[in-house]
Amino acid sequence: MVVGDVTTGTDVLVIGGGPGGYVAAIRGAQLDLDVTLVEMDAYGGTCLNHGCIPSKAFISASGLAHRAGNAEDMGVFADPAVDMQGMVTWKDRLVRRLTKGVESLCESAGVELVEGRAEFASHEEARVVQEGEGQGAESIAFEHAVVATGSRPIEIPNFAFDGEHILSSRDALALETVPDSMVVVGAGYIGMELATVYAKLGSDVTVVEELDGILPPYEDDVAAVVRERAEELGVEFRVGERARDWEETDEGLAVRTENGDRNPVDATVCLVAVGRQPVTDTLNLEETTVETDEDGFIETDDRARTTHDNIFAVGDVAGEPMLAHKAFTEGEVAAEVIAGEPAALDYQAMPAAVFTDPEIGTVGMTEAEAREAGFEPVVGQMPLRASGRALTLDEREGFVRVVADSEAGFLLGAQIVGPDASELVAELALAVELGATLEDVDATVHIHPTLSEAVHEAVKGARDRSIHY
Amino acid sequence: MPFEYELPDVGEGVAEGEIVTWHVSAGDTVAEDQVLAEVETDKAVVDLPSPVAGTVVELHAEVGEVVPVGDVVVTIETGAESTEQALPEAEAADTAAGDGTAATEGAASTGDGRVFAPPNVRRLAREHGVDIATVEGSGPGGRVTEADVRAAARENGVDDGAVESAVTSVDGEETTEQRSAVRQISDDGDERTTATDRGGDATAADRDRTLAAPATRRVAREEGVDIDDVPTEKRQDGEPFVEPEDVRTYAEAQQAAQEADREALAAGDVTAATGDRAETVGGEERREPYRGIRRTIGEQMERSKYTAPHVSHHDTAVVPELVETRARLKPRAEEHGVTLTYLPFVLKAIVAGLREHPVLNTSLDEEAEEVVYRGAYNIGVAVATDAGLMVPVVEDVDRKGLLEIATEVRDLADRARERDLAPEEMRGSTFSVTNFGAIGGEYATPIINYPETAILGLGSLKRRPVVADDGADPADTAAGEVVARHTLPLSLSIDHRVIDGAEGAAFVNTVKEYLQEPSLLLLE
Repeated sequence: MVVGDVTTGTDVLVIGGGPGGYVAAIRGAQLDLDVTLVEMDAYGGTCLNHGCIPSKAFISASGLAHRAGNAEDMGVFADPAVDMQGMVTWKDRLVRRLTKGVESLCESAGVELVEGRAEFASHEEARVVQEGEGQGAESIAFEHAVVATGSRPIEIPNFAFDGEHILSSRDALALETVPDSMVVVGAGYIGMELATVYAKLGSDVTVVEELDGILPPYEDDVAAVVRERAEELGVEFRVGERARDWEETDEGLAVRTENGDRNPVDATVCLVAVGRQPVTDTLNLEETTVETDEDGFIETDDRARTTHDNIFAVGDVAGEPMLAHKAFTEGEVAAEVIAGEPAALDYQAMPAAVFTDPEIGTVGMTEAEAREAGFEPVVGQMPLRASGRALTLDEREGFVRVVADSEAGFLLGAQIVGPDASELVAELALAVELGATLEDVDATVHIHPTLSEAVHEAVKGARDRSIHY
Repeated sequence: MPFEYELPDVGEGVAEGEIVTWHVSAGDTVAEDQVLAEVETDKAVVDLPSPVAGTVVELHAEVGEVVPVGDVVVTIETGAESTEQALPEAEAADTAAGDGTAATEGAASTGDGRVFAPPNVRRLAREHGVDIATVEGSGPGGRVTEADVRAAARENGVDDGAVESAVTSVDGEETTEQRSAVRQISDDGDERTTATDRGGDATAADRDRTLAAPATRRVAREEGVDIDDVPTEKRQDGEPFVEPEDVRTYAEAQQAAQEADREALAAGDVTAATGDRAETVGGEERREPYRGIRRTIGEQMERSKYTAPHVSHHDTAVVPELVETRARLKPRAEEHGVTLTYLPFVLKAIVAGLREHPVLNTSLDEEAEEVVYRGAYNIGVAVATDAGLMVPVVEDVDRKGLLEIATEVRDLADRARERDLAPEEMRGSTFSVTNFGAIGGEYATPIINYPETAILGLGSLKRRPVVADDGADPADTAAGEVVARHTLPLSLSIDHRVIDGAEGAAFVNTVKEYLQEPSLLLLE
């Protein structure tokens, strides 16, 4: 109890202004709820400030530089120079614009914005603490709460983030210069995306991965295409090795591993990207009956409700997959459920993308998953080397694969690896969501010449009537 | 694989049907085309033949229950293997293994495993408290459609109780149906289900363009149905939208209308079903359900009266010659087994009038903005029955002789009273006649039988005082003798959008001519 507490009331208290939080807040306000959003750092959360947006900005810039410098085949000769600080400034500017955008969207929707860290005092009251101060904390009485506190990078033993030698993904998106060499611990999507960025910017990159393959959630043949291209870019892979510890060297540092090749990896910097963990320790959850599971995620149902009736949780803090668009969906549903609408998290398709080179875009089930689920899958696969558009992009690697139920033709899933896979997969996500059949997609005319035709051809292939390959 | 028989469209302007009799019960074996039930739709009673052979699993409606078209009325187990059978049960799908990239912990999807239904159908299921994972899909490949969800909701909601409770649940169901139909209509907020919309159900919709998924078009091709003809109230972005169930319903309705048998129906059941004439308990209020034929009549009347500006024109035909002619011909007719009334003469006189004044034999196509001059002389003859007013049609009156017309009118009237008319027999008229004079009265203001543009009402034919015209000077105000003569009062109502009063009057003059001098009919 702090002297000078001011208590205000609100229908919905949203804790966290990232993708899950601000979407829940705006949707709630659209539905005429009285919403208060408390954010302790920056609006837009990890996604806008340290994740999705900055990484894609770097990916585009580094991709452009690399492409321009490697297009002699097409008759284009260039040797681009990269100003890292300039890149960071550009990135910061667009992040700032987006952050301000989130803020003004919330304000014009009528959401009350409060800066500070919110923690539960009970299941119907929360305290907003201004870090560094201690008096005059604001108390907010709420009818409902939406926890959207997100996640933070996992720190592995001996590799505490220091921003100098051991970098988190956040640090890696704020470097002043391109490091001569970099060791990336973790070959998940974050590690691979950043490894690709720095390899294209001229860094000597080595990726160290504990498991035997890279990009574990993806099928071998999908990951293989990305690995091959990464190796062409000069990335060295050491899989089956776990980072044990490191020591400082003149160059920077040397990372020692267990298993496999025992030679330490020398590099200027080390990026650790082994995963993220939910943030719940800022919340004082013990004051409620909200439960978390063994991995620290808040347990929720298909209405985004926690084990405590009036408290909801959305986004990374609520579980895998930790994707901003999953947070968007959950935020919307939570707001709608609070407003009394019959909303639910019953999406049939949760697509995902990896912005490596080439990109990966997937939705739904793989062939193996379909079989496990009891379907008799039929598969159609179109290699991009047979795509006219891919050739005009001077791209040859990659494929589109669709998985469908052979009995009724329902689309069950798709895996795309190739240029713009992140965009192309949207069509198949729609098909899966609608319960569309192969015939439906096949009967839809696709523009020529585009990469989307490869989707069409893969679907035709599944029906045993491909024309173009 | 259980076959779910949805109530097809079997009559014009029909959106529902009332179960009159069931000919089968759960457990019975049925053959293809075997009559399952009799359903009263519009003003006719039609048979529901079974499209499949198999065993009846369940009857989904009770006698007296009003069922919306498209609702499942009976489930039949055909025992046939079908592709829909192959969809895995919801329980078999393991949430963890089901979808690699779908949320696992915490945010599990409602209904384990894959559900093949678009988002709006899943939401509909939630709104109706239906677990979509348990709904059997009737869409292509087993996809769950809106109709499936509504059918499941109905099953959950229907009592074993009295007809009233069944009616309530159906009414509630109907409102939801209309609400969800409304949700699909484009954003101009137009909630009016116009009479035209409802009327379009059974007859070919005849559109230029229809939105439909490719699989739906294939179904239409397979059923031999033009997709632009399939009636639908569904809209997507304001365009008419058709789903496979609409195609199948329409195709079945085409077949049912062609195959429907006519059987006399148990009068008792009918009376009970249509709301019987209970004894009036003096002073106390009494209520009767406003449905079935009564309501259909009411809706038709409302539509006609509120669409067409009605103008009435009254006149009196002095018809001693008609009386004599009929008296002379009556015995001859009886030799042929025909009772000759005045009506056939009137019908022929009307045709003569329509020939000279074709604008009274028209219909207004508001959509096309055209006045349609009908190419035939089909005259509807209003018949009062216990169940209400019916208008069977005598076709091609111009081509039939008096005896033929007399026979046909008699037959139609008899069968109308027995509720034995087929829907086609009450369609297609170009002009109508109502003979309220048979009961009594002189003049009235009849309501036009939409979509015609004129109707002639006949008062009672009897002796009344008239002034004998002895060639007296019209200016002579003292001349003229009142005598008793047979007269036939005529009341013509016209749709003033198409017909002007002058033409109406001219028409009546012509008809009078032929009634007053029947031998003119020989010239026709």
